[in-house]
Amino acid sequence: MEYDLIIIGAGPAGYVAAIRAGQLGLKTAVVEKEYVGGMCLNWGCIPSKALLESAKIFDRTKQYAQFGIDGIDLQKLSFNWGQAKSRSTGITKRLTAGINYLFKKNGVELITGSAKLLSENFVLAGDKKISTANIIIATGSKPKAMDIQLEGAPVMEMEKLFTLETVPDNIVVTGNHVPAVEIAQFFKLIGKNVTLVANSNSFLMGLDDFLISYIIKKFKSEKIELLLNAFPEKFKNGELLVGDKKIKCELLVNCNSRKAVIPESEVPLELTERGFLKTTDDFETILKGVYAIGDVSGKSFVAHVASAQGIHVVNTIKGIKAKFNNRAYPVNMYTSPEIAQIGMTEKQLKEEGIEIKISEFPLSANGKAMIEGNTEGLVRLLSDKKYGQVLGAQIVAANATDMIAEAGAYIAIEGTVYDVAQTIHAHPTVSEIFMEAGFDAVDRAINK
Amino acid sequence: MRYIFNFPDIGEGLDEGTIIEWYVSKGQEIKSGQAVVRMETDKVVAEIPSPKSGTVISIFGKVGETIHVGTPLIEIEIEGVYGEEAVAQAKAPVSMQPLEEGSTAVVGTMELAASSAFLPASEEGVATSKTDKQTTHKVLATPVARAMAKELQLDINKITGTGPGGRVTKSDIQNFQLQNVPAETLEIQPLAAEGEEITYEPLSQIRKTIAKNMINSKLSAAHMTVFEEVEISDLIWLREKYKKVFSDKNVKLTYLPFILKATVNALKQHRQLNSQMDLENNRMMYKNYYNIGIAVDTTEGLVVPVIKDADKLTIFQIAQKIAELAEKAKERKLTLAEIRDGTFTLTNYGSIGGIFGVPVINYPQAGILGIGRILKIPVVKDDQIIAGNVLPLSLTVDHRIVDGGEATRFLLQIMEYLKDPFSLMME
Repeated sequence: MEYDLIIIGAGPAGYVAAIRAGQLGLKTAVVEKEYVGGMCLNWGCIPSKALLESAKIFDRTKQYAQFGIDGIDLQKLSFNWGQAKSRSTGITKRLTAGINYLFKKNGVELITGSAKLLSENFVLAGDKKISTANIIIATGSKPKAMDIQLEGAPVMEMEKLFTLETVPDNIVVTGNHVPAVEIAQFFKLIGKNVTLVANSNSFLMGLDDFLISYIIKKFKSEKIELLLNAFPEKFKNGELLVGDKKIKCELLVNCNSRKAVIPESEVPLELTERGFLKTTDDFETILKGVYAIGDVSGKSFVAHVASAQGIHVVNTIKGIKAKFNNRAYPVNMYTSPEIAQIGMTEKQLKEEGIEIKISEFPLSANGKAMIEGNTEGLVRLLSDKKYGQVLGAQIVAANATDMIAEAGAYIAIEGTVYDVAQTIHAHPTVSEIFMEAGFDAVDRAINK
Repeated sequence: MRYIFNFPDIGEGLDEGTIIEWYVSKGQEIKSGQAVVRMETDKVVAEIPSPKSGTVISIFGKVGETIHVGTPLIEIEIEGVYGEEAVAQAKAPVSMQPLEEGSTAVVGTMELAASSAFLPASEEGVATSKTDKQTTHKVLATPVARAMAKELQLDINKITGTGPGGRVTKSDIQNFQLQNVPAETLEIQPLAAEGEEITYEPLSQIRKTIAKNMINSKLSAAHMTVFEEVEISDLIWLREKYKKVFSDKNVKLTYLPFILKATVNALKQHRQLNSQMDLENNRMMYKNYYNIGIAVDTTEGLVVPVIKDADKLTIFQIAQKIAELAEKAKERKLTLAEIRDGTFTLTNYGSIGGIFGVPVINYPQAGILGIGRILKIPVVKDDQIIAGNVLPLSLTVDHRIVDGGEATRFLLQIMEYLKDPFSLMME
């Protein structure tokens, strides 16, 4: 065998697996067609959040007078799309260079080209046939294409958003999950008319109902039109026909539910009903020594889980066995304010028949939140009644996506609300709301 | 960093042992492989070697105390192993002996209990070692696990943790509950009152092990048995002749040493019978050593001590060894080494009065020879009916490895040796 491991795809699943494999001394090569870093670094996680950050600052600048800052002429305030884009691209470049450096440092070979599976032990990378003991497929996913009857509509996928020279005023986003919500809010924050068409009956599936209803209310107050379970039928005269509504549409952003990018293969690969690669609990496909991780396996669609899967598979190949725990990972939304969730939802807990206690603490009673002028939001802890084990947590706060890590630690070590309440949190901090929610669960919050 | 060495599963399916003697003391430097403690179980006496080198920080348990498999024996400070490397080491399976030694008397290889726990040098651990109080040793456990153990009145120190660093988690408590509740119910079950139709008794460790191994053998090997009878008047004459010589040297001469010798000589010419199938690696393992197990019936159950390198022993040495091992088996004084690594087994139900049987292979060995009682029956010799001395033999082979022809040839060869015992000495 020329290699111990060939990884197809250099997104957050593939590149993390590759670095780990290099660290463990496996002779590893990554085959990547176009984007080192995958969607995450090139148009997903990093760039889209960089744009959102620009939009958030743009929006916040309007409040600067309250903080005692004069000299900002709101009439002259405008969003510079070109500069926001190039700042974002700069970050992407730095990070992809970082991956290339880490590949070199850990002895991982990068082969640029497309890959084809020839057998359990052979991969065609570009026009070179290479032999390997193990293969990881990490080819990711793409949004489902728009219906054929929408022909002529100004459809654009996130991947191509960065090629846009100017942003038109009337934007429709289709999609059902976190990225659709984020991008809809982004365009609203920079002053566009936005409609989000959730073209399924599973809007934000997996999120706690509490958070879903929060988002629905939030969109209403921000005047983002949200059409649930609605399907665009036709595009005519610059208008999109959705049910009996005609929506002005100069840009139709496709954030549809995702479908797997299955690599070319001469050996049959088994797919799930939804068209993803079928894998075992250890992510092995029906082919021995051939694994699938990240979006292509359809088990999760977030970068951090894809990376964790990659590390798990490399460990498995190396003989380090452990069970992969799929449940406790954060789901983050980089909206304004941010929204984050970890562990089980209220509905899941009820379905499992676990008696729970819900404890909450609002940001409106938190000193640091007032100081920062970000009092919208709350923390919500779901704990089991008997032992007080923290089973789920949800946060709405300016920095919720960072704060959720604390809840993650409680869940990982099977911590209880007593542990939350007894952990001294510095004052003043936004994180104090955890301690308060802990107190609320044990007895009652101090400042509520 | 610290390493807690838990009492490993020593491969006899027994889940507890009694400490007979400590070979190490606190503060002592030890090497990997060095014997730490001498333990006695239901079946054997075993010396437990340390899997790591380092300094002994704590010793758990006093001489005479009973320790469960998976609970800590000693804690070792290992130098120069930190962080990821430590975790990787903790997770890597630690094999205490080469795989070929798989064929022990009753069960498989000796492995470290999966619970080998590496502790980072946390404050919790440091405090324990500095105060020198072994009894204050605190296991790592998650907050929920502690709360559950408290409520269920379980000693959390007795529960094996499967979480990171050997931490006891919620599911460990749940599993412990599941495994232990039925056993406790059985224990408190009163013995059958007069007139009750069924008496319930909990399974002993040795019985559980036998059950597991018998089923494993029947499910893994393709059993096939051939029966033969051999006339052994010459052997009887020979044995009578030397009985006195042996007993003068305090050794009882039975027929078994001759049969064992005949078997070893035949094994040398029929290597399939002294082999093992290694399906995982698609290969056969022919063994060039001859370790013959002898099934011994004890009050607790069947034990199979092994006569090592039987091909190098004389009839006298074999007789001596058989007597010694049978005695030890009955007194539960066998060591692990004495029941491990058999290559073929003899089972002598003739000594109890049996004639034929269909023995179950001591898996993964390839065969087992059953020996019946010598029968005084009429036989035809030179067209005359005479009183013959007939030894019934039942040979079970793993038909995956040994074909019918080979099995028969092997058995006939043993019979040739027994018919003409002098030929045994001629090789």
